[in-house]
Amino acid sequence: MKFGNLVIAGLVTGSIYAVFAVCVSVWYRVSNILNLAVGDFAMLGALGVDDLVRVRNWPLPAAIAVTLVTVAAFGYVYDRVVLRLATEGRSAQEGIVVTFFFTFALSFFIDGVARVLFGTDVHAAPALWSGRSLTVLSSLHVERAGILVLACAVICGSMFWLYISRTLGGKAIQACGENPLGARIAGIDTRRYRRIIFTGTAVLAAVFGIVESPITGYTYLSGATISLTGFIAAAYGGFRQPGRALLAGLAIGITEALLGGYVSAEYGDTVLYAILAALVLAWPRALGFGSAVSG
Amino acid sequence: MTGPSTGEAPALAVTGMSVAYGDVTAVHDATFSVAPGEACAITGPNGNGKSSILMGLAGLVRRRGDVRIFGAPAPSGDVRWAARHGLTLVPERRQLYPGLSAADNIVLGCYCWTSSLRRARASGPFGLALELFPEIGPHLNQAAGTLSGGQQQMVAIMRGLASDPKILAVDEPCLGLAEAVARRVYDALARIHQAGTTLVVVEEAPKRALTICDRRVEVRNGVASTS
Repeated sequence: MKFGNLVIAGLVTGSIYAVFAVCVSVWYRVSNILNLAVGDFAMLGALGVDDLVRVRNWPLPAAIAVTLVTVAAFGYVYDRVVLRLATEGRSAQEGIVVTFFFTFALSFFIDGVARVLFGTDVHAAPALWSGRSLTVLSSLHVERAGILVLACAVICGSMFWLYISRTLGGKAIQACGENPLGARIAGIDTRRYRRIIFTGTAVLAAVFGIVESPITGYTYLSGATISLTGFIAAAYGGFRQPGRALLAGLAIGITEALLGGYVSAEYGDTVLYAILAALVLAWPRALGFGSAVSG
Repeated sequence: MTGPSTGEAPALAVTGMSVAYGDVTAVHDATFSVAPGEACAITGPNGNGKSSILMGLAGLVRRRGDVRIFGAPAPSGDVRWAARHGLTLVPERRQLYPGLSAADNIVLGCYCWTSSLRRARASGPFGLALELFPEIGPHLNQAAGTLSGGQQQMVAIMRGLASDPKILAVDEPCLGLAEAVARRVYDALARIHQAGTTLVVVEEAPKRALTICDRRVEVRNGVASTS
């Protein structure tokens, strides 16, 4: 039953990677910018709620609400001011500078602020559904937080899928990604969608940080690791295919858990990244890296 | 939709319009007008500013000068305003969304006047677009990028029609199309014109355009002259 338990644990972390990979690739489709700060918003959510509840004795619902509103406001302002100047201002930058630099810098900035605000220790938001882990089929153990993470991923994923496929606004988002000029011709405000998705994915990341942190615990540096794994999963979908990014996220999560369980708990991550790199070297185009490079 | 059709006002009144890309002036001081229900051809050699005139009118690029659509002064660089006041562009090279189905490409034409997918699909303009090009019917669920050049051009015109235009600005509709397909496209444009829509058609070769157009604006080196 060790295998089953590892797969369940892998599914939980994998669904987080999948959500972040989808966030990265959806926003990249609309804006051509890779959001390397998405994991930092997760860390802000987890440590922000922890700080308000544990240090300042706020009630949990208020702490969650204030944290999410703060993340949303910060994401909105960052897009309005920095990203707008970077892509449309007088000295607008193009290519790799915009693609990487402005959210990479944001990631460092958030880490620095978080270090000052929350210190360097490992913390976690209070568990939303506390209690002992549940036992299924007599020997499979599932953490309650893990069930919440999976439920959140399924709910957010299906809501997003419904929005994209069943509404005119969702189709407009796809049009922005397919052909920005063509989207403008139809009267679609591509900037507005870019802003909505940047802010929306920041809030979504924060929600997942809050729900997941009781399992792993976060420090001010945790965001970078999550971003990196989400980024790699998104790369397997060529940064433009949320569906493939989702599958890649799940696969990476499960592989990571199995490697940790059967190969080495200490070197599991190292082996994982070696496998991921080897796969890219072996089949760059089949894995979607061709389109990532050519844009 | 919101276009104040006063009857007297021209569909399009352009006075001293200029379009520049950095230091390069593509359109210099263009002045012309198009009456409601008229079909006007904008002709001239490639690279002389014909497309820039249409892009400026549709709000895709910034322009200077005065542009009035049915009497209402058009702000520079506002596509949505132009579309809501009845002017829609069917651009050069079609600019479709290749990964989306033909039906989704067409229905997105409705975006400028509704946010409801159900209302868009049930609307008159959407139905009219499907009616005008029955040959696209079997391909509605096919990705637009996999359609033939002629079919893509039809889908681009259908997307334009779905916006319920009073003025349809069509840029080089027959670029790269076989003769038979080009005739089919012009046949459809003639029917759109007969139904009362004002047409502005950009063509390098005036011959075909003048089969349906009443008037011609000649553009040379960024300067427009009416004939």
